[in-house]
Amino acid sequence: MNDFIHHLPAYVDLYEEGDLGGLNLQNLGRYLTEKTGVPFRSQGNIYKKCSEERLEAVAKELAKIKVKDPGKEFALGVPLQAEIDYERRRVENPGWKVFGILYEGILYQKIVSGLIFESGPILDRCSILFTNQLFGTWDWDNMRYHARVSLYGFPSIISVVGLVEAPAKPKEFYIRKRMGTPIELLREEYQGRFLEHGDSRIAEVLKGYAMQAFLFHLTGDPFCEDRNCRLFNSHWQEEVLHSQMESPYEFCPRHEAFLKELKDRSSFSSLSYSTREVGRGR
Amino acid sequence: MSKKKPIFTPVSEKEVTRAIVAGFAKQFIEYVESDCLIIGGGPSGLMAGRDIALKGVKTLIVERNNYIGGGFWIGGYLMNKVTVREPGQKILEELGIPYEKAVKGLYVADGPHACSKLIAAACDAGVKFANMTIFDDVVLREGNQVCGAVVNWTPVNALPREITCVDPIALESKFVVDSTGHDACVVKKLEERGILKTSGFGAMWVEQSEDLVVEHTGEAHPGLVVTGMAVATTYGLPRMGPTFGAMLLSGRRGAQVILEKMKKK
Repeated sequence: MNDFIHHLPAYVDLYEEGDLGGLNLQNLGRYLTEKTGVPFRSQGNIYKKCSEERLEAVAKELAKIKVKDPGKEFALGVPLQAEIDYERRRVENPGWKVFGILYEGILYQKIVSGLIFESGPILDRCSILFTNQLFGTWDWDNMRYHARVSLYGFPSIISVVGLVEAPAKPKEFYIRKRMGTPIELLREEYQGRFLEHGDSRIAEVLKGYAMQAFLFHLTGDPFCEDRNCRLFNSHWQEEVLHSQMESPYEFCPRHEAFLKELKDRSSFSSLSYSTREVGRGR
Repeated sequence: MSKKKPIFTPVSEKEVTRAIVAGFAKQFIEYVESDCLIIGGGPSGLMAGRDIALKGVKTLIVERNNYIGGGFWIGGYLMNKVTVREPGQKILEELGIPYEKAVKGLYVADGPHACSKLIAAACDAGVKFANMTIFDDVVLREGNQVCGAVVNWTPVNALPREITCVDPIALESKFVVDSTGHDACVVKKLEERGILKTSGFGAMWVEQSEDLVVEHTGEAHPGLVVTGMAVATTYGLPRMGPTFGAMLLSGRRGAQVILEKMKKK
């Protein structure tokens, strides 16, 4: 755990993209403020302030960063007009429901960063984008792209559909699916063991990911090694559900203490580029 | 004893032959130039053709097989039940195709019934067919606008060139539709010429690919509209499974795009 605070933000700014399946960002923001003492601002749809020209430019950029073959390293594409038109319709429509394209995560983050920060990241705001689109990053260990739930940075991006698609389901689920067991039957059998689109548990689970984004902004280290802590970096659906909903405590004792001290501090001051150490080291 | 009257009117063989040739030639001459030329007579091509022809637009479907309908006769694993996800069942209702609910949001219909009704709907709307006819190349005009297709008899392609060297012929049209499935034959031909570049389809992901296919249906190149599974190949979308809702809705979307463009012209 790194508890050296680099940037204590004055605000947590929450942005959204596409249809988030009824996710209430106000509730999520209130949770963050309750845990950290830092006020939140709901900034709405990320494209809402864009001019027509900007939207067209963004649509072109998005159409270029589709990962078309997850087994190959990414190369910038030359999109066809219909691909740009698709992105244009998507960014123009705040309630866009369709997803399924895997975007190159780092480049996706760069595009949305350009929308949020006009001239470089503003570090006294912790900016988090919740999107209904999928993004992935290249994994050098097995040389392929993997869908991700979150990518922390400036801004941090969290994919609501990635929460369903990225963490692995139980191994036997995939084996049986490959053997031809109908997906509907598998869903029934494994009900509750993984998140599904529209799952009522998603709102609760996202709180942990939002906290990870906040911790990243603060310290550069969003994760905790304790699988019972909400900051645990889960790879399996069962780990996600355990760390976010079923564990005996919300945060491990160390992070609990860290957050308590942070909250006490945040209630009377906000520091940008703080070099003071808070929390207790290992 | 009175002679028994035959059931059918006596007609000589030569009259039968003349009727076939004259009927074929009349239609062929008329449809050498059409408003909409659809390559591929599968579900998306049939649906597009039906919706376009219903508006009185002169529409020809080119199909390389003898039979029309593509994969719509059978579902997955050669089983003759076809499935559609909601809202695809609305088109089944519109075409008078009986269906049953399988699970929430998924409907199943009898393949032969569904396919024959769709073909009949296209015919009733006024679509004409050139079956056993294979797409060979595109006809291009100024600015590489697609305005027709070069075709040949399917059997010609199946024989060695030493035996049959038959030149193809060209059909002209205001719009060409690529409904050739994952092969995306028309789009690939443009790719061969360096005019556009396709991506090839990704892994199978039924749930998301259907939405994406419909949303990407449209004009891929001036004069060329892409529908159905060819959309997945053109834009590198996930591969579709054996559900046909997107084929029908993509065909409908393709028809809307063409009709709107025709209005503007």
